[in-house]
Amino acid sequence: MKGNEVFRKSIEKLGLFPVFGNPGSTEVGLLRGIEKYILTLHDSISVGMADGLTQYSGIPRMVNLHDLPGLANSMAFIYTAKINRSPIIITAGQQDTRHMVYDPLLYWDLTSVVADSVKFKYEIKNPDDIPIALKKAKMQALTPPMGPVFISIPENFMDYDVNYYEFKDHIVPSSLVDIDSIEQIAERIMNAKNPAIVFGFEIDIYDAFKEAEQFASALGCPVYGEPLSSRAPFISEDPHYAGDLLPGSTLINMKLLQHDLILFVGADITLYPYLPSPILPGKELIFVGLNINPKIGDFYFMNPKAFLSEILRKINKKCNFKREKDLSLAGKIARERASMGLNFVLYNVKRRFPEHIIVDESISASTTLRYIFGYSRRRYFTARSGQLGWATPAALGISMESNNVLAVEGDGSFMYTVQALWTAKRYNLPAKFIVLRNDAYSILRSYAKSYYPEMEDFPGFLFHLDIEKIASSFGIESETATGDLKELDWLVEGNIAKVLVIDIDRSVQKLFL
Amino acid sequence: MRVLAILPEFIPLEDVKNTVSQILPGTEVRTDASFERDDADVLIVTTFTPVDRSLVQRLPNLKFVQVASTGYDNVDVEYLKEKGIILSNIPVANKQSVAEHVIAMVLAFLKDLFTMDQILRSGHWPVLTGSRDLEGKTFGIVGMGMIGKQLAIRLLSFNPNIVYYDVKRLSREEEEKLGVTFMEFDELLKISDIISLHLPLNENTRKMFKEREFSLMKDGAIFINTSRAEIVDENALINAIKRKGLRAGIDVYPKEPPDFTSELFKLENTIFSPHIAGVTIESQQRFLTETIANVLRYIQGLEPLYRVL
Repeated sequence: MKGNEVFRKSIEKLGLFPVFGNPGSTEVGLLRGIEKYILTLHDSISVGMADGLTQYSGIPRMVNLHDLPGLANSMAFIYTAKINRSPIIITAGQQDTRHMVYDPLLYWDLTSVVADSVKFKYEIKNPDDIPIALKKAKMQALTPPMGPVFISIPENFMDYDVNYYEFKDHIVPSSLVDIDSIEQIAERIMNAKNPAIVFGFEIDIYDAFKEAEQFASALGCPVYGEPLSSRAPFISEDPHYAGDLLPGSTLINMKLLQHDLILFVGADITLYPYLPSPILPGKELIFVGLNINPKIGDFYFMNPKAFLSEILRKINKKCNFKREKDLSLAGKIARERASMGLNFVLYNVKRRFPEHIIVDESISASTTLRYIFGYSRRRYFTARSGQLGWATPAALGISMESNNVLAVEGDGSFMYTVQALWTAKRYNLPAKFIVLRNDAYSILRSYAKSYYPEMEDFPGFLFHLDIEKIASSFGIESETATGDLKELDWLVEGNIAKVLVIDIDRSVQKLFL
Repeated sequence: MRVLAILPEFIPLEDVKNTVSQILPGTEVRTDASFERDDADVLIVTTFTPVDRSLVQRLPNLKFVQVASTGYDNVDVEYLKEKGIILSNIPVANKQSVAEHVIAMVLAFLKDLFTMDQILRSGHWPVLTGSRDLEGKTFGIVGMGMIGKQLAIRLLSFNPNIVYYDVKRLSREEEEKLGVTFMEFDELLKISDIISLHLPLNENTRKMFKEREFSLMKDGAIFINTSRAEIVDENALINAIKRKGLRAGIDVYPKEPPDFTSELFKLENTIFSPHIAGVTIESQQRFLTETIANVLRYIQGLEPLYRVL
């Protein structure tokens, strides 16, 4: 069997089809016989699509990149997959081993390029190892903490005679808990005066919402969402939900001032910008999860769902927290109608898209978007890495399995991977896009407002984009919203990709301390 | 970097210390300035602590003074300037509160609330009322800075005609957004039913309202001053109240507490408040947040916002 046949058979066995990619000469031999292939017009878009679909489905997907250029073009997306703990399997064609010593065109040590951004990296040394390397890659990707992996495949191996190694696609179990540790944690919670809970993205990854709500109800204490959670950390309609923490040490400290013990489950602390306050000094901090990233407090490596299920029997009510109903939103919506403020716009979007999966890259509008849409199971996704351009391909990836996907992006963000619309058209992907146009990198203007006020109107933050024409040029229907936002009805209709541009209030909000 | 906060005695000291220990451990919080020497680099004060030569001399390392309020009359600005010490205030935390206070005073006059309250308390049920609507009145805002704009935003829903005067006219876009019309100063005085001052005190605005200006105003006009007392000639104001039936809402005084024997306090058609237009529970929280943020900014090596010096 030739190398390319073994490659195809292996990925079929591992359930990794379709392959997302943007090919080059080093991948042509490898792609022979690959029928389920999604072409993207930039390497990075293939990573973003695979990432979105992987996170949504929980099933790893494969990307095939073009040697060093393809890999380098995709680095921000691979970094995002790492931060989002997304188990995607990235492959790239490598130069022919027979002339590597001459530094041929496109040659580079690919594994060193991705070294810090993947869990596992390997360049196949022996053509017979293709199935083993791919299986190992998938297992590594799925083993908690999950994350992207990388396999470099020299192009000449595709034409060698290779032995196919029969194997089973083993599923990685991850229901790990430690009963003794749970006893200890329960005791510490019961001994605390005023505990608080912080849930994070692993609640969605491991589908622990039911257990999280039961735990919150049993304990009765407030539940916060981790700062900049990449996925839903809790059911935001639950009365114990007290809102999200913001990504600044001072802001976190002020929010949790009254609590002496804070239990983080499936959560991490993401910070930006730097603030000089130490994080939660003098408090008892307990982290439980499979995302190994201990910075402060005591860390327990356990599956959040299994942990919450077990600890439930060992705790009693400590608080009587119940979130007050927000009566201010109606007034904000009414006041912001004339100026197309975010509360007015996003409230109306939510009305028309109440059940959609939200892929968020609205950046300066994200806090408002999260608040208005709320969180629920597998309904909210964003890139916690801070990169731009992720939402469009991620939404398209998710739309391969769901007709109810809405990406909400800023105009600056949208332009990073706008050619993904071509892929949407080519494969009839039904994702809907709302572009919030304010003619600026508004988050930078806001940052400047707090730290460098003289830079708020820096010309390098400002631009105007005819998004509607750009979308049309890829064959995608687009509209510009009018004051009553009636175009949202047009947007929600039909199972084809559409773009709605909404010109929002351009005033700069102070989003930083 | 050492931070010293001198706060008034009436604050809940233990709560503040607890908060500070989470935000900036090592910061000393005290309620008096009776120390011989302190090596603080940063000093946080409210308007209740005089930052005079004596205090500054006992802080030999002092580089930055953050006043947690809009006003900084308690600070010896010239001496700080001489010593090269940075001074910042917080001019952004109370604009909403002041705007609401102005509207409260105006509505109290228009709705004749105090008179009706007194009548009912005396056991009478008035048949006629002098209550008036704000809708349709001409509301003149003198000084269209941050507070003036907040006032205009809040006034819009009452449907008055909003006119303004400022030495620097707003852009057409800003005027359209706020729903305000620019007027020359004298013209504004002549046509306004209500006039509210939102001006900084400087050589151009000191005694800006004298006999001449009051003489241009409509009889019975409502005049609100929540900015600075020195902008108004008090005798001229008293005369206008007596002769033109001017109604005056006053929050600021040349000396605080004021001279209560002044004829001003004997006049009807007046409402007084003790310089608290910008002081609400909510604005104090905003002052605290902005103060913390600005001190953190300075400690990080960034330029503090709202620099006075």
